[in-house]
Amino acid sequence: MRRPIWLWVELAGWLGLALIWLAVQGGKAELWWQLLLIWTGFALLAFLSTRLGLRSECLLPAALLVGIGWIFLLRIKPEYAAQQFRGYLAGLAAFCIGIWGGWAQSRVKYVFGLGALLLLAATLVFGTRVGGAKAWLDLGIIRFQPVEFARVLLVLFIVRYLVENRTLLNTKHGWAAVKYWGPLIVFVSGVFLLLAVQRDLGPALLLYVVFCLLSVAVVFSWRFLAASLGAAAAGFGAAFYVFPHLRSRLTAWLYPWEHAEGAGYQVLQGLFAMNRGKVFGRGIGVGLGEIIPEVHTDFVFALIGEELGFLGAVAVLSTYLILAYCGLQLSQKAASPLEQYTALGIVLLWSVQVLLVAGGVLRVLPVTGMTLPFVSYGSSSLVAQMWMLGILVSIRQVRAE
Amino acid sequence: MRKFFLGLLAGYFLLMAFLVYWQLITELDEHPLNPGRYRIFREPRGAILDRNGQALAETIIDADGTRRVYASPGISHITGYFHARYGMSGLEKAWHERLAVGQNVQTTIDLNLQRRVEELLEGRVGAVVVLEPTTGQVLALASYPYIDANALDDKWPEYLEDQRSPFVNRVVQGQYPPGSAIKPLVLVSALQNRTVDLDERWADQGVVELSGRTITNFQRQALGEITTKEALALSSNTVFAQLAAQLGPALLQTLRRLGLGSTPDFSLPASGGNLPDGELSAYGWGQIGIGQGSLLATPLQMASAIAVIANGGRLMRPYLVEQIRGGWRLPKMQRPLVISEAVSQWSAAGVRDAMVMAVQSGTAKSAQVPGVLTAGKTGTAQTANGRDHSWFVGFAPAEEPAAVVVVLLEHAGTASQTAAPLGGLVLREALVAQGVLGGM
Repeated sequence: MRRPIWLWVELAGWLGLALIWLAVQGGKAELWWQLLLIWTGFALLAFLSTRLGLRSECLLPAALLVGIGWIFLLRIKPEYAAQQFRGYLAGLAAFCIGIWGGWAQSRVKYVFGLGALLLLAATLVFGTRVGGAKAWLDLGIIRFQPVEFARVLLVLFIVRYLVENRTLLNTKHGWAAVKYWGPLIVFVSGVFLLLAVQRDLGPALLLYVVFCLLSVAVVFSWRFLAASLGAAAAGFGAAFYVFPHLRSRLTAWLYPWEHAEGAGYQVLQGLFAMNRGKVFGRGIGVGLGEIIPEVHTDFVFALIGEELGFLGAVAVLSTYLILAYCGLQLSQKAASPLEQYTALGIVLLWSVQVLLVAGGVLRVLPVTGMTLPFVSYGSSSLVAQMWMLGILVSIRQVRAE
Repeated sequence: MRKFFLGLLAGYFLLMAFLVYWQLITELDEHPLNPGRYRIFREPRGAILDRNGQALAETIIDADGTRRVYASPGISHITGYFHARYGMSGLEKAWHERLAVGQNVQTTIDLNLQRRVEELLEGRVGAVVVLEPTTGQVLALASYPYIDANALDDKWPEYLEDQRSPFVNRVVQGQYPPGSAIKPLVLVSALQNRTVDLDERWADQGVVELSGRTITNFQRQALGEITTKEALALSSNTVFAQLAAQLGPALLQTLRRLGLGSTPDFSLPASGGNLPDGELSAYGWGQIGIGQGSLLATPLQMASAIAVIANGGRLMRPYLVEQIRGGWRLPKMQRPLVISEAVSQWSAAGVRDAMVMAVQSGTAKSAQVPGVLTAGKTGTAQTANGRDHSWFVGFAPAEEPAAVVVVLLEHAGTASQTAAPLGGLVLREALVAQGVLGGM
């Protein structure tokens, strides 16, 4: 009977967050009920999942992440927190769609693949330009970033295709292998192409890594690994010549000190912010990290590192690790291979994204321009993460506890 | 699944290793681009005040957060700026350690006068400085274009691209040929060396030949039979070229004693201008006598040298920062400092009379201040490219000077129509500020 313990831990975590929130205080206090409702919402979701006979442990780390993200958005700009809360309300619905939609069990595969392609193609044709990138789809009542949803659909497609064809993919070689890999490659490269046209290289990199890891997990093949690495090298080479902003990001990553006032500004200010944090951080609200460009989206981790210090940053990373652990537990005991790899795909989408984003802030990798799942500002992103969370929770277990 | 978890674990450990590196091992606190370097202390940053205690720059904390607010758009040439992203400059930088602990920096600026001077200069590339001659205190200092320290967030890229260099403080860093504005200093040198008498008569034919080359008056105008005093008032190039040629190295010595050609010890980073070195031909000296050749001076240097005339021959050190106080550190004071008795009282008085004449009936007539006896001199300095620079140097009231004004307008053309009228307006404002004239 582990479940009550988890709930207690969750409650303790939330009490801690509420205390941190108190530290924010001053002028922004009228939004306190939103934090309360976020907590209540997750508690309701946990209750619902338990009643459905599903395991809901992974809701705890997700709740902690949404909470800490909301607190930091409140600290950066109260409007961000309010908007994020609206995104969270939509996310509750998205979670229910995820848990009841049978996404992990469904056998349709090309629908998902086509859905991903169509979403991205529609963005290309009907998209609205917001802040430089033409990455938004405006449906009159709602405006969202389709790429957040398209990548989940693509991963669902990849998993279904791989699981369905794994014997064939494992045994056939030469031209036959090409025939069986073909449709998968066509869809995946179609998505890459559409992302490249939209100059959205971060998600392309993320999907590439997740695709390779999933393929390796389902059908391990050295030939495939070699071929995909070769394709990646060729794709990178082409992108390097076609996209000037890729070059400037590489410059910012490799030589930030030489371009401190230009390309390297964001990276360096992120590192300065991190560095000011030391062990215990400067405290919420007294950091100077708000001057970092995109601090509420791509670089929120730098502000967390500054204001909560090394311990806070490690705590946030550990929370992601706990989330991944919960997800992998679900995957391991999943009732079917399809659900097993769906869970793995979702865990990989989250984890690889965290590694890419936090790695970008810490100068392990170049900046990829993506959000930190659950934490960063962005309604589309949050709704998509909640949807993925719902799908993950809906994974049936071999033996219900 | 275990393999995947171990792989992710490895990834997260790598991140944490980098966290350890960037947060616990590396030391970036002192890096000049780290905004944390400027806000090590928790107290609100001290203010920069004018002579009457009005704030030129202060930190305001309210519901919108903490902001550094500057009193006027052009004030950044004095205070500098203090910005989380763009760092700091000017007094904000020079006195950062005192400001950061909450101490106030009190300057000699008169904010009301400063605002008026900025308004008068607005739109014309150039510099205006107002000094109190008896003390060397800077009452107002304006340079156009400027960077508005209140608007850096929006306008920084624009400022960086502005071809007119808004970051340069033209009062202390702009080095210009003084043109005829040097003539009072040449005259004081001649009087000091007793090579000329104020009422000595000259025959001005509009042209003079020195070592085989000619120096001409403005528009080659022949001024006829004039006294030395009139030569200054009417700005005769021929007379002053001859005076300078007679003086030779003695002129250099006087100019050096008046502070030209050396970097002044000032509260802001200043330039030193240029004096010729070594021997010159008669023509070369003549060129110096009319403020051309290799002679360069900043408006501040000119103001400080003209203040010697206003001040009866005594060279005061110009200064901007009067005292630092408040907070827990000991206060620091700056008192008026006599650098030297640069020239005799008699020489200074003679030049003053000639400058009064220039304003009463000479080339600086447009600088007259109603009801006040004013001394002044215009200068139209030829430049290598474009129109001439316009100068006005002057002070008032002539009997007991309360303010020295120097105006420089880049490429503005003839000074009597540009710099001199502006100089008159600034003088009037300065006298109001100093309590010599009643308010408007």
